[in-house]
Amino acid sequence: MGDYQVLNTRATRVDGPVKATGQAKYADDFKFQGMLYASILQSPLAHARILRIDTSKAKKLPGVKAVVTSKEAGLIKYGVSPARYDETLFAHDKVRYVGDEIAAVAASDPDIALEALSLIKVDYEELPAVFDMFEAMKEGAPLIHDEFPGNMNAEVHQEFGDTEAALQSCDLVVDHTFLNKRQDAAFLEPHSCVAVFENPGRLTLYTSTQVPHYVMRTVAMTLQIPVGNVRVIKPYVGGGFGPKCEATPLEMSCGLLSKITGQPVKMTYSREQVFLHSRARHQFYAEMSLGVMKDGTMVALRNKAVLDGGAYTSFGIATVYYSGSLLGGPYKLKSMKYDGYRAYTNKPACGAQRGHGGVAHRACFEQLIDITAEKLGIDPIDMRLKNIMVTGDMTVNELDMSSLGMKECIEAIRAGSGWNNKKGKLPKGKGIGMACGFFVSGAGYPIYRSDTYHSTVVIKLSEDGGVANVMTGSAEIGQGSDTAMAMIAAETLGIKLNDVRVYSGDTDYSVDLGAYSSRQTLMTGHATKEAAEDVKNQIASYLAQELNVPVASITFVDGIVKFDGGPGNFEKLRTNYIKEHRGWTDPPTGEYLTFREAARMAYLKAGTIVGTGKYKPPRLGGSYKGAAVGTSPAYGCSAQIVEVSVDLETGEITVDGMTDAHDCGLAINKTSVEGQMQGSLSMGLGECLFEEVKFDSRGRIINPSLGEYKIPTALDMPKVKSIIVESHEPNGPYGAKEVGEGAIMPTIPAILNAIYDATGVRINELPVTSERLFMAMKNKT
Amino acid sequence: MKRIIKLTINGKPVETAVSPNQTLLQFLRDDMNLTGTKHGCGLGDCGACTVILDGKAVNSCLVLAIQADNSEILTIEGLAQDGKLHPIQQSFVDKGAIQCGFCTPGMILSAKALLDQKPNPSELEIRTALSGNLCRCTGYQKIVEAIGEAAEVIRMREES
Amino acid sequence: MLLPKFYYHEPATLEEALRLLSEMGGAARILAGGTDVLVRMKLKIDKPSHLISLQKIPGIDVIIQRENHGVTIGAAVTAAELSTNELILERFAPIGIAASRLGAPGIRNRATIGGNLVNARPAADLSPACMALDATLKLKSAKNEREVRVNDFFRGPGETLIEPNEMLVSIFVETPPPWSGGAYIKLGARKALEISMVNVAVLLTLQSQDGPIADVKIALGAVAPTPVRAFAAEEFLVGKQPSSELFKEAGAIGVGMCEPITDHRGTMEYRCLMIETLTSRALNQAYNNAINWKPLPV
Ligand SMILES: Cc1cc2nc3c(=O)[nH]c(=O)nc-3n(C[C@H](O)[C@H](O)[C@H](O)COP(=O)(O)OP(=O)(O)OC[C@H]3O[C@@H](n4cnc5c(N)ncnc54)[C@H](O)[C@@H]3O)c2cc1C
Ligand code: FES
Ligand code: FES
Repeated sequence: MGDYQVLNTRATRVDGPVKATGQAKYADDFKFQGMLYASILQSPLAHARILRIDTSKAKKLPGVKAVVTSKEAGLIKYGVSPARYDETLFAHDKVRYVGDEIAAVAASDPDIALEALSLIKVDYEELPAVFDMFEAMKEGAPLIHDEFPGNMNAEVHQEFGDTEAALQSCDLVVDHTFLNKRQDAAFLEPHSCVAVFENPGRLTLYTSTQVPHYVMRTVAMTLQIPVGNVRVIKPYVGGGFGPKCEATPLEMSCGLLSKITGQPVKMTYSREQVFLHSRARHQFYAEMSLGVMKDGTMVALRNKAVLDGGAYTSFGIATVYYSGSLLGGPYKLKSMKYDGYRAYTNKPACGAQRGHGGVAHRACFEQLIDITAEKLGIDPIDMRLKNIMVTGDMTVNELDMSSLGMKECIEAIRAGSGWNNKKGKLPKGKGIGMACGFFVSGAGYPIYRSDTYHSTVVIKLSEDGGVANVMTGSAEIGQGSDTAMAMIAAETLGIKLNDVRVYSGDTDYSVDLGAYSSRQTLMTGHATKEAAEDVKNQIASYLAQELNVPVASITFVDGIVKFDGGPGNFEKLRTNYIKEHRGWTDPPTGEYLTFREAARMAYLKAGTIVGTGKYKPPRLGGSYKGAAVGTSPAYGCSAQIVEVSVDLETGEITVDGMTDAHDCGLAINKTSVEGQMQGSLSMGLGECLFEEVKFDSRGRIINPSLGEYKIPTALDMPKVKSIIVESHEPNGPYGAKEVGEGAIMPTIPAILNAIYDATGVRINELPVTSERLFMAMKNKT
Repeated sequence: MKRIIKLTINGKPVETAVSPNQTLLQFLRDDMNLTGTKHGCGLGDCGACTVILDGKAVNSCLVLAIQADNSEILTIEGLAQDGKLHPIQQSFVDKGAIQCGFCTPGMILSAKALLDQKPNPSELEIRTALSGNLCRCTGYQKIVEAIGEAAEVIRMREES
Repeated sequence: MLLPKFYYHEPATLEEALRLLSEMGGAARILAGGTDVLVRMKLKIDKPSHLISLQKIPGIDVIIQRENHGVTIGAAVTAAELSTNELILERFAPIGIAASRLGAPGIRNRATIGGNLVNARPAADLSPACMALDATLKLKSAKNEREVRVNDFFRGPGETLIEPNEMLVSIFVETPPPWSGGAYIKLGARKALEISMVNVAVLLTLQSQDGPIADVKIALGAVAPTPVRAFAAEEFLVGKQPSSELFKEAGAIGVGMCEPITDHRGTMEYRCLMIETLTSRALNQAYNNAINWKPLPV
């Protein structure tokens, strides 16, 4: 590791104090003069033709300022991927799930808005609906979108090498299947937005989103406002985890209603609406076969996926690709075949969630490796080590592991958990299990086809020279990106962290694709670093000229300027500075020239000092169809060991301990890296043991609350031992790469492998409730 | 139908009219502009709305504003004194117990209520005290550590 | 989540509260901790036009020890208070433990025992605990006062013997005799914020420290439209010498009293199996507590 002043420390978060004191503003905390409150009418039926919508009564209710339906909103199609725009803001011909949006109301107060909704009369003709992904793909199933026969939203077929032949040549082929359940991201802050439309035609949205940039584009497109006239400001966001990665009907409705009324309009989803909007983890069915040689060498993997997509595409195209592409590593394979199918059903649309597309298939694969290892009589860790990829390896589907500390992670958890003394030696009812995983550090390509930079950053020095203002469109959603950017800027400029301010999440500041695919540390980080270097170069050039020294002799460290590593001769500058600033209370002192002095003097010469940076990945990946999905400039990886106790009489599971090692390249901020690791584990534990969005026979969610949809509480999470492994990533800024999503990959299979160790029962369906485990144990004996 | 209530919020006396169907949460956020108290569910399920009412942590989404008549309320805005963070706030910042921050005000107040009762809690007591405050970001570990550390700071401060 | 409009009353005496209740009949609800009624109003399951708050009524939120023979728990005593009160934990343990497993701390600080009982949810925590202790409920109206055994109180999900003009004012529990021990077990998915899939409360009394079972009460929750007593299992146990095998048999008999349903929390089959297991487990725990019975320090 390099010798850093700011990076690689445990610096406290730049937004810590405002959040600890309740001053941090989230979208729902904003209030504007004359602000109206909006609400959306959602379909009570899962599949129905809309015959008539009568809004006349609602419009007459005192206090109602506007009522909009598809008549006012138009029928411009939108979605995430331009290849599959299949949504309109409001349903016009039919509704496709319970919750599909039909109309929106703006009123002087929230009660009135709700009352107005109840006055909108919609006549439906109910249609047969389909809720199960396998049923949906059967002949004769109710058709959800006319354009997609067989309800087939997307299909992927990829093969690398001759998989069937490779499987034939193996000593052993083992099969496994796996079924997870639809998850909800369950971020604590429900979606919320305030739209302010001002003449002559500029719309500003204050909204809880991960992707200001994409929201700006989508809202501009659907509301027919020139994109330059839409500004999206992301205040603090109370968690996203994926579902806040796309423009929502809430944002578009607020924008439209503000445009029509000329008044600011606010809307916040109820918790139930958060569940109805969904866009969270799909339900996946996985079917796999792994071919190996007697000595444990992995040869070939056949992988099939069926995804329950819900009523619209959302991120689904990427999702169904990821379920295949993210199995290419971290083990060497000679061949791999993947067939993926994403079906439409009459349920809320699924989208991206932490570990996008990869989590369920990783869970299946890592169980399959344990099953195979057991058959071969090999320790699961040894089996993995035998096949592990290392830095410089290329996966069978052409993903380039430009750095990969996978082996180091495995060794770290083996030592850190006491695996060798525990595996196979625990009493019945106690178990230990492990698993690995890897993930992208930013998608190699934007969601829409474009040559755009993925991130640009502007750094402007304050005119007194004392503060570097970093301006970026990137999205701080809790993961700590503002802090990471401040640290990168401070390190690059050679100034103190306290002297950097980050202004982020505003589309007027810069282009940034946002917080998804674990991209910001690497991509926004690169752009920040480049912008800081630009600023530094400007000041260094000025000093070189002024003091007549070579640029190369100048360095900035910790807020001071060094010449050839020493104080140098800067008398002339300091004298000028003091002359210029008579009466200022804080004249610079000390034996070194300060950064503030230098920057101020440079400003006097050149005007405001502004540096810019930009980043887009080079062309990545193979040339086969879908090769773009899964590409990334770098990959993070992790390994986990989980220890469980099972109550053999009830099936209750207690996770006693977790040991987690993650290779994030250089850990920009160690505390934040651990925070991401621990948060990922708790989301994985929840998905594994408790979480499931459940539907009744008519497609209504049975448990749309945080009481009945159960995420882990403080009592359900064990102590986690977090070990940071730092490889050097050549494509990352200062060698950094992802941690935010990859850390969830091993969690579910590690728990499942531990449960098997404790009970001798293989569970291949989530969540592992006490009942599911108890019944499985009972049926086995 | 509005009624006058008198109460103390963060040490300041307040006298104002509220409607019976206003929750304490709505009253604090909408009428008092104390938006540090968060709304995550409205049904008692998440703890984001936790405030301290007469010394006890409660879910303000399930208390009527009118019921707070004559009471003493502490919200997150009232914890720092003279611009100096309370030790629990400080250790949340120092230990990395904050990510998105949406659960943070409720967490900190639940922790405050605990430490006021039990200055030296065990890890299990800390986790139990937080068990009604959901956090989706942190996995709770750094929160639990922060509270343990804050307890120590407070004890030391009181000893000296 | 908005509350519909309603009138709010805050009577200063019990008499006034009862008068209001009798005047308004079905249109009014008592507001105790509000952790149930406010949720139901927000979800539009309940729409009372009046709420009568208990918070100003003196004496309704205290636990009073009755000279040697029992305890009177005011209807507005909170779960938090029950779960920390030493007398309750020592002598009426199932109530204390059940209270400590209800919801989470913020909920327990508001939720009352009266609300939990009148609510009459099949999965409620305090109902089976009170049943195992054979509690007596005092119901009052403007004109009348009556006592009802908690075992007769529940009629169905959300339904009890209480009349719209009546209020539950207190719960009386007789102190269990020497060599008694209690237990309470709750099965749910998470370790907090959890509605029971099955719960069991037991009070077991021995004739002497190493003697046979003198008396036992087993109450089960979430296994039928109301919490139920496992009378057959109780009868089977009385007079016998305690042992794990015996408790196991009793568990199997206990299932006979139940008619659990399949819902999204669990199937009937699993619930039945768990009734058996947890009943026997609770009996073991209660027995262990019984042999360790000690007179209260004076
Ligand atoms: C997040 C959450 C978690 C929960 N977890 C649990 C749990 O784990 N276990 C459990 O059992 N319950 C649980 N509950 C339900 C609820 O908290 C309990 O039932 C609680 O005991 C209700 O008491 P309360 O004082 O809040 O009742 P209230 O809501 O005030 O009243 C409930 C009902 O009883 C009536 N009532 C109240 N007091 C009287 C009285 N003295 N006389 C006549 N009628 C009266 C009211 O009119 C109302 O109809 C939970 C609730 C929430 C919101
Ligand atoms: S908002 Fe009150 S508990 Fe969630
Ligand atoms: S920090 Fe985001 S919910 Fe706790």
